Amino acid sequence: MKTNWPILALGAAATLAVPVIVRDGYIVQLLNIAILNAIVVLGLNFATGWTGQINFGQAAFYGLGAYTTAIVTKAGLPWIATPFLSIIVVIAASLMLGLPTMRLRTYYLAMTTIGFGEIIRLIIVHWEPVTGGTSGLRAIPGVSVFGFGPQGEAQHYYLLIATLALAVLVASRVRHSVLGRAMIATKDSEIAAEQSGVDTTRTKLLAFMIGAVYAGIAGCLYASSIRFISPDSFSGTQAVLLMTMLIVGGMGSIAGCIVGAVALTILPEALRFLGQWYLVLYGLGVIAVIVLAPGGLASLASRIAQRLARAN
Amino acid sequence: MTPDPIIVARGVTRRFGGLVALDGLDLDVPPGIVQAIIGPNGSGKTTLLNALSGASHADAGSIRIGGHEIFRLKPHRIARFGLARTFQTIRIFENLSVIENVKVAAACPTPTSLFDIITSNSRHQHTEAEIDHNSREALEIVGLAGRANDHARQLPYAQQRLLEIARALASKPNVLLLDEPAAGMNMTESMTLLDTIARLKSSGITILLVEHNVRLVMGISDRVTVLDFGKKIAEGAPYEVQRNPKVIEAYLGRRHLHA
Repeated sequence: MKTNWPILALGAAATLAVPVIVRDGYIVQLLNIAILNAIVVLGLNFATGWTGQINFGQAAFYGLGAYTTAIVTKAGLPWIATPFLSIIVVIAASLMLGLPTMRLRTYYLAMTTIGFGEIIRLIIVHWEPVTGGTSGLRAIPGVSVFGFGPQGEAQHYYLLIATLALAVLVASRVRHSVLGRAMIATKDSEIAAEQSGVDTTRTKLLAFMIGAVYAGIAGCLYASSIRFISPDSFSGTQAVLLMTMLIVGGMGSIAGCIVGAVALTILPEALRFLGQWYLVLYGLGVIAVIVLAPGGLASLASRIAQRLARAN
Repeated sequence: MTPDPIIVARGVTRRFGGLVALDGLDLDVPPGIVQAIIGPNGSGKTTLLNALSGASHADAGSIRIGGHEIFRLKPHRIARFGLARTFQTIRIFENLSVIENVKVAAACPTPTSLFDIITSNSRHQHTEAEIDHNSREALEIVGLAGRANDHARQLPYAQQRLLEIARALASKPNVLLLDEPAAGMNMTESMTLLDTIARLKSSGITILLVEHNVRLVMGISDRVTVLDFGKKIAEGAPYEVQRNPKVIEAYLGRRHLHA
């Protein structure tokens, strides 16, 4: 595959310049949440975009990472331990959900993952002494590695951008490997993939687990950069929103995941001046993308690029 | 002495509700030949291929491929014993490029872990290079090397069939099952296909060919097995089978025998 270096460099420069140009802390904070969502959606893309397994449990994995981090740092554990602990917790949870369910398909899998998300939410809501119940957890200690840590929204922005870059790198390496091809083959024709020697059950489980790890890491960073968490941020509504980001951005496209997550995180805030009407516009926008560009915003971009190339 | 058969099936039975699609079928295929399975519609040809490849398991019986008992194993395990197949209705991977389709199946003797992939280390690079090499070789054989980087779904129908064959070949199989490979091909394309099958045979691959078009298979097959209602009604060299009254009856009906 050809990499368009000039455009990539321009994009990187623009991305890095954002906090310098936009000095509004509120907007940078919003961007930080957009970046975290992008990481979670990139994770969702492994199971859903590439392997074709519907997963409404991604928000729950996000929450598990966030709550693990919040609980252990508030208990006094050093921050450096939290990414690892979050990863261990989400891997254990994804195995618990994945091992018995990866043989299920379509609606059945969707229902099971919805159920899983609801179980995790109920545990968070009802285990009050530990999780703070519906009011959530406040004053979560920030990111700190041997006393050093980002201060303020802008520094957090750079930390999160670096994490996103790493997440993109890993995703693109997996995509162009034995595993990534096996994932897409499993989505396109499970039986042909099996007859080609692909262990489709293992492939689905791996896709699911890698996705859960993405959500777990994002959750860990969410808790320690926003420093306040509540069950609402990881509910079923959030799971549907993550799926919408993936569909609007473009299933199976790394760039699409980022575009979808950033667009659908910022849009509700940008349309806030419309009051109640913003939901109508938002809904119409999502429907328009799905109807006019079934491959998502990413496919729209590549279609425009193709048309330009043909015109030249 | 004849060599041991590479496919040995005994008493293979498959029922769909009340319908017996395969009725205690025995089959021996010696290595290195092209063996055709023919028979009227619904005679159990594809059911047999599905049982051999594990796509849809038999209810009873024993199947050995190259000495390995594969009865009720998952298809990917059977594939790793050196069995590859194509499908009657095309099943290419539409969201992958032509060469990536082939790479999915390409033999990789050095398996890579997730760690190798993420760090893109030398083992991963080596494996990818080997897979790339094997895949391009397979595309050369079917004449699709020039379209390696196209989207698989952009290929015309006949070429999608060839892509399935390339994908099957990339795993370096000992046994290749072809399920109506000429379906939907015109005369020229069918002739090229026969040519390819002949070349594969001379490279030592055992080919089991299910075909509806009897005339097409007669020229290329060393042996023909005729199925009717899930049973073997005739087996032998093409010229023997063609004159077998049971075969004529199965294909044309009883009246034609006396006409």
